[in-house]
Amino acid sequence: MVSARDLRRYAPAMLFLLPAVAGLLLFRIIPIIWAFALSFAEWRIFDQVKWVGLSNYAHILSSPVSLQVLGNTAYYTAIYVPGVIALSLALAVLLNNGLRSSAFFRGAFFLPYITSTVAITLTWRWIFSTRFGLLNHLLETIGWTDPPAWLADPAWALPAVAIVAIWKDAGFFMLLLLAGLQTIDPTVYEAARIDGARPWRRFHTITLPLLSRSLFFVLILALVRSTQTFEITYALTNGGPNRASTTLSFYIYQNAFVQFDMGYASALAYLLCFVTGLVTLINFYFRRRWVYE
Amino acid sequence: MKILRLATLAALAGTCGVAAQEQVTLRYMQLSVPALEAERPVIAAFEAANPGVRIEAQAMPSSEYWRSLSARAAAGDLPDVMAMSSAFVQQWARAGNLSALDEYLAEVDTGAFYESALGFGQVDGSTFAFPQNWVAPVLYFNKDAFDAAGVEYPTTAWSWEDFRAAAKALTIDENGDGRPEQWGFWFDGRYTNVEPWIFRNAGLLLTEDRAAIDPTPEAIKAMEFLVSLVMEEKSAPMPKDLEGIRPQDVFGLGMAAMWVDGSWQIDNNRQVIADQFEWGMSEVPLGPDATEETARVYAWADMLSVTKDSAHQDLAWQFVLHMSGPGRQASDFPGGKVPAYIPVAQDRAWLEEGMLPAEKSLLLEMGGKAAYSGFSDDWSAWRGYGASGSGGMNGELDEVLNGRKALDDALAAAVAYGNDILSR
Repeated sequence: MVSARDLRRYAPAMLFLLPAVAGLLLFRIIPIIWAFALSFAEWRIFDQVKWVGLSNYAHILSSPVSLQVLGNTAYYTAIYVPGVIALSLALAVLLNNGLRSSAFFRGAFFLPYITSTVAITLTWRWIFSTRFGLLNHLLETIGWTDPPAWLADPAWALPAVAIVAIWKDAGFFMLLLLAGLQTIDPTVYEAARIDGARPWRRFHTITLPLLSRSLFFVLILALVRSTQTFEITYALTNGGPNRASTTLSFYIYQNAFVQFDMGYASALAYLLCFVTGLVTLINFYFRRRWVYE
Repeated sequence: MKILRLATLAALAGTCGVAAQEQVTLRYMQLSVPALEAERPVIAAFEAANPGVRIEAQAMPSSEYWRSLSARAAAGDLPDVMAMSSAFVQQWARAGNLSALDEYLAEVDTGAFYESALGFGQVDGSTFAFPQNWVAPVLYFNKDAFDAAGVEYPTTAWSWEDFRAAAKALTIDENGDGRPEQWGFWFDGRYTNVEPWIFRNAGLLLTEDRAAIDPTPEAIKAMEFLVSLVMEEKSAPMPKDLEGIRPQDVFGLGMAAMWVDGSWQIDNNRQVIADQFEWGMSEVPLGPDATEETARVYAWADMLSVTKDSAHQDLAWQFVLHMSGPGRQASDFPGGKVPAYIPVAQDRAWLEEGMLPAEKSLLLEMGGKAAYSGFSDDWSAWRGYGASGSGGMNGELDEVLNGRKALDDALAAAVAYGNDILSR
């Protein structure tokens, strides 16, 4: 039982906490609960709420479009996660190994991450343009006579989105990995060098194991980010052509805020939450096999 | 001059016969910021004619408009009068957000408005939106390119074979690299590019009750004709080859000699083309399966609706009428927007003589024909906008035009997708 004295004692703290707690309740907890309830309803935002049970979830699992979107999300993750980890790791190792002007390059590599996504994406749109784009111009110069229509070809649109996302995010993950690399004791490398270990051996027997905790953290973050990709898709392809680059979070947005189908969008959002949670759990389960504790 | 104009508008507004009321604020939402700015003097005239009435007008970019209005509908906070589109009137009316205007219409000389434009606001036999202006797709053509190729300008007597031959003659590949410097025609799978051909061949994509997608043979023939221009005749480009160029600029940049799109593109053409070349417009050629009696003019309207919860229904209607009819003048509708109020449309000033295109009167002739809007519930989703992720019929037709899918397969996929949406 809370005594009056306790109340008096904690009142100032509670008063200070109140705005944050109220904000959390109003803008996080209640919407999360409300979205869960809505996932069992049909609600066009300007219409009445109609409860439909599991119908939204059943439609997700039976609709070819939803299944295509889930497939796209998995495909995007399969490109983005290894791509962004490989590039950020390469950049981090490069910077950690005494690259000249490393402070400049650290800033340069990080710059895309803090630059407006829309501005970046519009530039990439021009780069990817079929007839007037820089990329196809370069490809034609080196002999590819019929380079892809990057944003108009269903086979290339999603990789194009992933390329831009990898380019943009690599600087952020590079910083995380660079921090991890700088915690590795240099004497370990020195000992290996004295023992005659070549750079590649030092990398996979010292760097990778000792960086595995940072890599695990980066892996989880990259997985979550890959399921949340939105701005680049919106500005680069708008989910097209023919839904080829529509991933789950973009599809949720389209249903909720373009088509106003809040019930279906809520069910999709909970599916996304479930899939992300499941993948994260699986990663945690397998962590002990490769993360050096 | 501005004062004179305001005074004239005030006098016109007075003809609406709105009784003076005491300190009433009408909230009005327009879906285009430039449109609202153009309407400011007309709104001021209404206020001047109705002492005690204040119009609280707001506008937002069309991309935000429906999202914002939907949220306001959910919160029970809709304005008294809102701009309405032909594509959304069915959903909004059936959701119970709009007032039926039938009683008011009984007191209006509807004969002074384009009949087809009035029809665009009807849902289930009642009128829920009143037209301000209407637009329709037309065939734009580059007169200089026609002259250079020695091809006669398009006329309303053109058949599809005439069009096919002209497109072929106007396709010019100067260096023979397989990438023409000038295409005879260009289009993609969007509604303004495809549906005009379907309706001019007396075809339909939707069933009569607009509850399902079921393309008629005439509609399929129109699509086959269009596809043949790309895949067989090579007189129109694949959409992927033009990726990176704004669709509305392809014609203006001289990359294609002909283009079918909405009459609102007149403004854009004027800006992009400037004085680079002479251009004109004609009606989309009549299809082989249609006669002038069975063919439909594809058109739709910008409209205004009174919302159901407005506390000032009568006044809101008077405002709608003022903004749509006698309160307007020809200069309020530059370019390809045709005033729904016939006396304003027939004002010589609307023709903008001395500016291109010289054939604006064509739109007035089209206004006298049977029009069809082609919209249904969830149209934007099944057609390939909205939640479709550039899929739907847009995406499927682009697949065909990019050579990746057969028309039959694409249509089957688009129909299945669309009917799944409509059945929900």
